[in-house]
Amino acid sequence: MVGKKDHFRAPVQEAFRRKSPFGQLLEHMEKVRECIDILGEGIVRYYTGECKDFLEISKKVSKIEHEADLIKGNLRNHLPNSLFMPVDKGKFLWALREQDKILDHAENLAKMLDMRHTKIPKELQSVFIDHAKLVMKTVKAMEKAVENIRDLVETSFVKREREETKEYIYKVHEYEYKADKKKYEATKGIYKLEKKLNPMDVYHLLKIADWVDDIADHAENVADWLRAMIAK
Amino acid sequence: MDITIWLIIGGSSAIAFYMAWSIGSNDVANSMATAVGAKAITFKQAVLIAGILNLIGAVFVGSHVTDTVRKGIVDITYVDTHTLLLGFVASLLAAAIWVTLSTWKEMPISTTHSIIGALVGFGLIAGGMSSVIWGKVGSVVASWILSPIAGCIIAFLVFKMIVKTIFSKEKPVRAAKIIGPVIFGFTAFLIVSSLFLKTPLSENYGISDLDGIFIAVIASAVVMLIGIFTLRKIEAKGAEDYATVESIFRKLQIGTSSYVAFAHGSNDIANAIGPVASIIPLAQGIGIGSKVEVPYWLLFLGGLGIAMGCMTWGRRVMKTVGSRITNLTNTRGFSVDFGAATTVLVASKLGLPISTSHTVVGAVIGVGLARGLEAVDLSVIKKIIISWLLTLPIAAGTSIAIFLILRTIVG
Repeated sequence: MVGKKDHFRAPVQEAFRRKSPFGQLLEHMEKVRECIDILGEGIVRYYTGECKDFLEISKKVSKIEHEADLIKGNLRNHLPNSLFMPVDKGKFLWALREQDKILDHAENLAKMLDMRHTKIPKELQSVFIDHAKLVMKTVKAMEKAVENIRDLVETSFVKREREETKEYIYKVHEYEYKADKKKYEATKGIYKLEKKLNPMDVYHLLKIADWVDDIADHAENVADWLRAMIAK
Repeated sequence: MDITIWLIIGGSSAIAFYMAWSIGSNDVANSMATAVGAKAITFKQAVLIAGILNLIGAVFVGSHVTDTVRKGIVDITYVDTHTLLLGFVASLLAAAIWVTLSTWKEMPISTTHSIIGALVGFGLIAGGMSSVIWGKVGSVVASWILSPIAGCIIAFLVFKMIVKTIFSKEKPVRAAKIIGPVIFGFTAFLIVSSLFLKTPLSENYGISDLDGIFIAVIASAVVMLIGIFTLRKIEAKGAEDYATVESIFRKLQIGTSSYVAFAHGSNDIANAIGPVASIIPLAQGIGIGSKVEVPYWLLFLGGLGIAMGCMTWGRRVMKTVGSRITNLTNTRGFSVDFGAATTVLVASKLGLPISTSHTVVGAVIGVGLARGLEAVDLSVIKKIIISWLLTLPIAAGTSIAIFLILRTIVG
């Protein structure tokens, strides 16, 4: 019987999953972090007129987005009906979906920015940069909220940890609200300059403001689903 | 004494030893895998602890269940001695073969269910419907359904208690340093009191129930002090230092793993030696109905078989299982072990042969229901039910076939 070491019955290990869904959600979040860090830095340089190496950034973002997609697919495919989780599986998948949307939008933004190197007018540069930074901060706050899942799971969702997660979620809302306000400021600025700019520039500038803002919206959605997930 | 009697006793004991060995090699993973997986102890330590505690549990607490297996399933008044002898040998052999086969094929069956199924099959062929004590069989089957539920409930409560008393506190590590030894002492109390309450040990030494409880209280106090002493130096590294809480429970888990091994020995020993315990008085010409104690050497032989199984093949099982288990952190493993072992031990005291593996699975689900696990695969319940539906008729069928063959050979 030597060499048959796998032929043993062990019902215990069949009872729980080896790969943890929350761990995979965090892994996916790490991809978001990686991607937003690269993009955030790149976009500030783009705004100040350094667009030459943006193709590199766009490629990197695409690659990360693809890696994250694999994690997402793997996670989704291994949540059968018979699986019992401490949180609502539907809400969990919604949070994952929204988190993935961040990457989708990041990829789209990077591609679009690279497709047409639009010069940001001097007057608008600072407000555009502020806006991008606020959006990145929103995502950062979301990352913190998601990260706290680890403690939540470990303590089986005690009140203290739930309150802590909620604190992070409030931060996400706060930054998202500020980012929104900045976006309207930027839009207003674009319209003010509409006579000076060519129509194509105006179109692209408006679009850029929207695309960047989309990222914050989805980060907020992640936070909202997280909140719903841990609500008692 | 006749030489054939010795042949019968020797032969059936050999089969029992083989059965005990396969039980040990398979089920050791249930008790020790979580502790080994969490790196609380090494493989060597685990199989050694499991072997010794299985032996102790088998020898000192195992006789209740053995009684049920040897005279609770088949009503021997309807069957003559010769047929009985053949039947018990056939049942044992059938169960052992089925266990080996399913081990090899990786099917999640229970050794307990195999032996009960085999005995029922033999009873049916030898004496018809009326020779099987259906009431007792019914209560045994009911215990198979109830034991995972009991394991589930206890594990649920233990884990909830850990959450309430440790995780939700402002300083989880400090709470764990107090609660840990208390639970540990309680575990010691359960084990020691089970050793002295209504066991051959207490009868031989004239220890009354009150004395037994007294001894258990002292033992648990000692264990508690040892626990406090070993944990005294641990300090929290921060406000939310859950890793240190887990490391405290990693130490405690050595205790609960031993508890599972002990309980397992006390219950599953009967599967191997129950039939032999019937054969011996029969071969010696003593009626089975008369009050005969299960001989100590037989309990010892069975316990030794389980211990041997733990130490030989068990090591390999543990390597495969232990490395696969990653999700069960120490607080969870602790709750699972405690819930399962308590259920199995109580069942042993009641004389009910139950499945340790199924009880452990029940306990895992209990911790999952307490929101303690990231994901529990409930489809394992379906597998358990299928194993019930399959094991009983197959073991019964094999037992009948072997019985018929033996009867034609021996006449």
